[in-house]
Amino acid sequence: MTWQLRIELVAALLVFATLAGLVWKARTGRAHRVRSGEQVDLLKLEAIKGGKPVTKFGRRATALQFSTEVCSQCRQTARLLGELENKHNDFLHLEVDVTNRLDLAAHFKVLQTPTTLLLDSNGRVKARIGGAPKPQVLQEELRKLEIKNV
Amino acid sequence: MSNSTTAGIDPRGPRFGAAITSVLLLITVFLGLGDATSTTAGFVLLLVLAALFAVGATLGVSNHPYAFIYKKLVRPRLAAPTELEDPRPPKFAQAVGLFVVSIGIVLYLAGFSYGVAIFAGAAFIAAFLNAAFAYCLGCQIYLGLKRLGVIRNA
Repeated sequence: MTWQLRIELVAALLVFATLAGLVWKARTGRAHRVRSGEQVDLLKLEAIKGGKPVTKFGRRATALQFSTEVCSQCRQTARLLGELENKHNDFLHLEVDVTNRLDLAAHFKVLQTPTTLLLDSNGRVKARIGGAPKPQVLQEELRKLEIKNV
Repeated sequence: MSNSTTAGIDPRGPRFGAAITSVLLLITVFLGLGDATSTTAGFVLLLVLAALFAVGATLGVSNHPYAFIYKKLVRPRLAAPTELEDPRPPKFAQAVGLFVVSIGIVLYLAGFSYGVAIFAGAAFIAAFLNAAFAYCLGCQIYLGLKRLGVIRNA
């Protein structure tokens, strides 16, 4: 292989990786509408919050975040959703570690983490966000679920 | 999930390491595409990278040589980190890196010398995305691999 061709191939690899990164960055963290989404079963979820089992959804909306142990973006997402929860009484943030709950991962078809489901007041899935949610996306989705002054 | 069992690390550390790794992997690709002498040099560099990945995958990224460079030379020039990160995600990424470059090493030893360039290239993409875009392998592929039964724990 000539020097020139080798340099071209290395440059092509660099360009490909950059494009892949830009595409990933643009697509991750966006919300997708869920039509006639299921009603989440809190008993099956076994979510724990503040050391207690969660028995109620948020009054207007709930963000159900699926995480694993080896997910750095899950921490950032949990912090972001936690801040929103502190600001809004009607909004609940639940985080479920699916590292050892593959049944839940399979049931909700979670492949990447964080994956966040946005639920209405009845716990019905309205939207799904794969990857770390962009803050503007969250604001818009919460407005749709009637969380005011986001 | 709790961070209580493990001390947090500066999240910029692993990305600094990924930047060095991606440069070295790109050099490996270049060497791996050349003549026999050049490919052998690429193979040796890939062995070194595999050893570095093995350190990160077993001892954790905070005990990685790059972490010492980061602590000595880079971090003193930066502001304190705004948040600390769980060290398990980058440790998982190191294990994936080790796995990928090992395929290249095995293929080279089996007589397929382009294996060095191909698998160094694959590892480069992940390391570069991590360094430049904060792409996190643990977030993207860990759960999928676990659901497929490929891995059992972190």
